[in-house]
Amino acid sequence: MSRDSIEKQAAMWLLRREEQTWHEADQAALDAWLDESPEHEAAFWRLEHGQIKLARMAALAAPVRREASQPALPRRRPRRWLPAAAVLAAAMTAAVIELPNTGLFGPRVYTTNIGGREELPLPDGSKVELNTATRLRADVSRTRREIWLDRGEAFFAVAHDPSHPFVVHAGPKTVTVLGTKFSVRRDGEHVEVAVLEGLVRIDNAGAGKTPAQAIVITRGDIAVGSARSTLVEPKSVSKVDDALSWRQGRLKFHETTLAEAAAQFNRYNRTKLVIVDPQAAGTRIGGNFQANNVEDFARLLSNAYGFRVDADGKELKVSSPH
Amino acid sequence: MANDRGAIRGWFMREVLPLERSLTGYIRRNWRSQADAEDIRHEIYAKLIASARDRIPTNTRAFVFTTAKHHLINLARRAQIVSFDYVADLESLNVLAEEAVPERHLTAREELKRLRTGLERLSPRVREVILLRRLEGLSRQQTAERLGISVSSVEHDLCNGMRELVDFMMGGQAEIIPGPAHGIVARERKP
Repeated sequence: MSRDSIEKQAAMWLLRREEQTWHEADQAALDAWLDESPEHEAAFWRLEHGQIKLARMAALAAPVRREASQPALPRRRPRRWLPAAAVLAAAMTAAVIELPNTGLFGPRVYTTNIGGREELPLPDGSKVELNTATRLRADVSRTRREIWLDRGEAFFAVAHDPSHPFVVHAGPKTVTVLGTKFSVRRDGEHVEVAVLEGLVRIDNAGAGKTPAQAIVITRGDIAVGSARSTLVEPKSVSKVDDALSWRQGRLKFHETTLAEAAAQFNRYNRTKLVIVDPQAAGTRIGGNFQANNVEDFARLLSNAYGFRVDADGKELKVSSPH
Repeated sequence: MANDRGAIRGWFMREVLPLERSLTGYIRRNWRSQADAEDIRHEIYAKLIASARDRIPTNTRAFVFTTAKHHLINLARRAQIVSFDYVADLESLNVLAEEAVPERHLTAREELKRLRTGLERLSPRVREVILLRRLEGLSRQQTAERLGISVSSVEHDLCNGMRELVDFMMGGQAEIIPGPAHGIVARERKP
């Protein structure tokens, strides 16, 4: 078998391994192929090593805006292309390089799966934490700091830089800060901003930033908005903490309806809670739960609250006790 | 006790692959057919991995170049197109002196520049496939639709593009590091 064909096979194996459909049986097949000859191992590890190098370098590159903006498509992201947070962190401590605007690199895209969470440093020293089922694009360099939240939720710890505002575009809203800690959640045209620290300004997207239409919120504030309006909830630092508990992988409820709690859990789990009757849906519950363990939550509903839980394929049907 | 694959892989990536640039230069200086250099390098890698199953060497660099030297000699003997002088010359070569040119590690800036150059060297379509798939995260299907090509073309382009990029990034196709004046070239056997 020629080197060329061995390298082709190695490349195909590497690319296949990044697909979300990769199973144990595939890994066994790969191991068997590697076992066949040290030439297979040589080709495979060499390409693997090259890929890691490429990924590390792509992380260093300060992204440059494309001329035409790309439409946001729903996609399935090959996750292994993105280096693990640890590798990125190491890469980020190196000097930040700026590439001239040749259109070669568009905004960097970051995504997480259902139940996923990822922490990423940005080239300006800021940090982003992505929550479940999130897609976010970042164009952050020494001269600009722009984020597009296409869907999902992210927490930002923004490095202070008065000369370069940090801007998050979330559908109908634009969020601007100089240096602060806050989260943005987007669900289509519905946007929520929770502030842990600092000052956060919320404008309507596209509007010629008329100050009269902007609102500025601070620590303990949660703003909820859509295209036409923004509502600021009564200030509550503990509510903001609860809203950010996903950062520790938890969900905190306090007098929350079961309907709302179920909706929250369904963001983090492929097995979905279905609340069957309105009475159950309106029941208020409280507690501190592991976000990606919907089975435990269902068990608790049954044991502690007396609800009836029927497992039905990918669903957990919850109904009032009768 | 045989070394497990994980240990060998770690050693190979940490200690052998960084030498690729030097090793390729070494092969090119000491083998007449330049086109064979990558095949020969690949064979040397396989030999190194096979040896490492028994024992991972303590001085990797010396081991790599000694293995390379012996492999070239074996190839020359098998090819039977070289004179006795070639083999004798190779055998007398002090491998370490041959590699007096020190490893030059590229700075982060240089590596990035190299990445850009590597991307620019790709054909436009292959480059676009790579950027759509890997930077923008489009699926194979979406990439195929966006570019108006088949899914298998996308896979094919991605495969080739990655191999080219890796080859370029590993520095194997870099400018040849100039060797000592007495670079050896295989000579035809006198009939």
